[in-house]
Amino acid sequence: MHKVIIPIGPQHPALKEPASFRVALSGEKITGLTVRLGYNHRGIEKACEERTYIQDVYLTERICGICSHAHSSAFVQAVEEIAALDIPKRAKYIRTLIGELERIHSHLLWLGVAGHEIGFDTLLMYTWRDREIVMDILAMITGNRVNYGINCIGGVRRDITPEYIKDIFRGVKTLEERTNYYIDIATKETTIIKRLSKVGMLSHDDALKLGAVGPTGRASGIDRDTRRDDPYAAYGELDFKVITDDHCDVFGRTVVRLGELLESYKIIRQVLKELPEGPIAVKAPRKIPAGEAVSRYEAPRGENMHYVKSNGSEKPERVKVRAPTLANLQTVSKMLEDRQLADLPIVIAAIDPCFSCTDRLISIKESNDKRSKIMKWDELREYGIHWYQHRGVDFTKINNKLKRRY
Amino acid sequence: METKMMQDLLGRFPYLNEKVRAQRDRRIYAEIDYANFVEVFEYAIQKLNFTFLCTITGLDEGERISFIYHLTTQDGIILNLKTSVPKEKPVLKTIIGYFRGAEIYERELEDLLGVKVEGLPEGKRYPLPDDWPKDQYPLRKDWKPNA
Amino acid sequence: MRFAKKIINWARVKSPWVLHFNTGACNACDIEIIAALTPRYDVERFGVQLKATPRHADILLCSGPVTKQVAPRLKRIYEQMPEPKFVVVVGTCACSGGVFDGCYNVESGIDAVLPVSAYIPGCPASPKAIIDGVVKLLKSLEEK
Repeated sequence: MHKVIIPIGPQHPALKEPASFRVALSGEKITGLTVRLGYNHRGIEKACEERTYIQDVYLTERICGICSHAHSSAFVQAVEEIAALDIPKRAKYIRTLIGELERIHSHLLWLGVAGHEIGFDTLLMYTWRDREIVMDILAMITGNRVNYGINCIGGVRRDITPEYIKDIFRGVKTLEERTNYYIDIATKETTIIKRLSKVGMLSHDDALKLGAVGPTGRASGIDRDTRRDDPYAAYGELDFKVITDDHCDVFGRTVVRLGELLESYKIIRQVLKELPEGPIAVKAPRKIPAGEAVSRYEAPRGENMHYVKSNGSEKPERVKVRAPTLANLQTVSKMLEDRQLADLPIVIAAIDPCFSCTDRLISIKESNDKRSKIMKWDELREYGIHWYQHRGVDFTKINNKLKRRY
Repeated sequence: METKMMQDLLGRFPYLNEKVRAQRDRRIYAEIDYANFVEVFEYAIQKLNFTFLCTITGLDEGERISFIYHLTTQDGIILNLKTSVPKEKPVLKTIIGYFRGAEIYERELEDLLGVKVEGLPEGKRYPLPDDWPKDQYPLRKDWKPNA
Repeated sequence: MRFAKKIINWARVKSPWVLHFNTGACNACDIEIIAALTPRYDVERFGVQLKATPRHADILLCSGPVTKQVAPRLKRIYEQMPEPKFVVVVGTCACSGGVFDGCYNVESGIDAVLPVSAYIPGCPASPKAIIDGVVKLLKSLEEK
């Protein structure tokens, strides 16, 4: 069988972010995969050194549009540790609330995208419609749907009123009903199980060796969650479960994310019930004293780590960001070993890649080799859907069920 | 928990005296010469249960380039192991033998700080584009854009 | 001939097909573009379809500050689109570089690389703003 290399050029799975994968095939089996990253490299770490701390709060937020609160909180936590600021409890609870709302919107987004990748577009439309409930709540509290800007060094910028609390409870109740229905579909419908099971296998040991984090790691049985192991904000005082699963495949990752949605609703209810009174911020100095700090945050995709070093001036000396997708990307080659080409879109989408967190840069690979072919992501996706349709995976029945329910 | 670990490290490696501190709970910072790096690193990962590597931070500190290896345990304790090499000859040995996932962090050090990591397998550079000039290291303090 | 031209213009204006391309953005604008397709905002009822290939598209919807690596690719995609074509830039980064203005790997805004027909500011530009921008562009075409 000759080797064919398919460079899958820059149209990324869900978020239309460019990423380049060179896949070596033998017939239809994948024998090798190199991931060419460096996509959204905008030079943020260098830019942080040239801007003041206050400007950096807003810059780190824009590392990624989906986990923007994760990045800005991790940064602010590190700076507050260096400056030895003791932020008020109310601020910690509000940060937790926004963090969990962000987790909900990210997981619902992922669910829709996974549905889109396997050809189940109805799920995309339904989950993104439900996601609008969360976006409304966020816009109500923070003033923007994305890139909330709620953090400031020393606390949060805006407060929550009792009317907001009522609306949030209502929104969470609707979302919980809908999530339970999605869990029902995902775990009972044979078509979905057939499409997602045994795809993208990553054994427990491999996940440990390659350093997988977040739901990708937890679906392989790795019991790691920064919210419980290294508590920050208000998580030390809240009661929640860490969801792990033993399936080690894409189905497991779906189950973990759905379980985390339910836990998030639980956490939000606790936060709102126990929201302490008090101020929402303390005054922070402009010049942060010399020092260093490491801060970790459980972003929806996994553990996000920021390291900040200060030198006594208004601008940081060094800011280092390690986003979760970077740790998870190295597992993709392992997951795709000996698998069919048709599985590629869903496997990559299953780690919930966020390339802008990761590289913060792009390249299109063209090959002059006669035997190689360039496939755009959408072509690959269509290929995957048809391949499975020929083998009996058809979503029309579930589509009808979903539509009848609503 | 951290103080116990600190005592352990100090007991095993007396040259660490005054170079180890616990800034707060779950955070230990230690500074060592590169010559002693391997033994302290191996001890931390094999005997003290630091089973996970978060990342490797590279810093340009004037005459020397420093590296901080951020290791964690299952219970969330982070050991920040700092070492450094001279800037005129920045050479490191790879740690992918211990953590396969360290490859990408080391490539980042090569690309952005101009460090040579010995032992890395053949592979694409990260994160800079292929046509970025070879001797430009953006994260060095003396590097200015439009250079 | 003029009548044929009128029909073609009408078809284009009533049902513009869109190609979305991300030139190094943080994804926020891209999610808002996709959110514009979902039931709350639903641009498909206006005839706007998201296409996968530049050869089918009338409008190029671009987001993100153009990183140096992406600039030649962006130009190539633009050249692959058939005339008449329009470029709509979404988000502050695409308009002028946004917070990334001055970073070493970034040009300042997409108009440094392509001729732009409409700018939609916002960080991120909300779906309502995106729909508004596209509609404004179409109105201006109608008037031609």
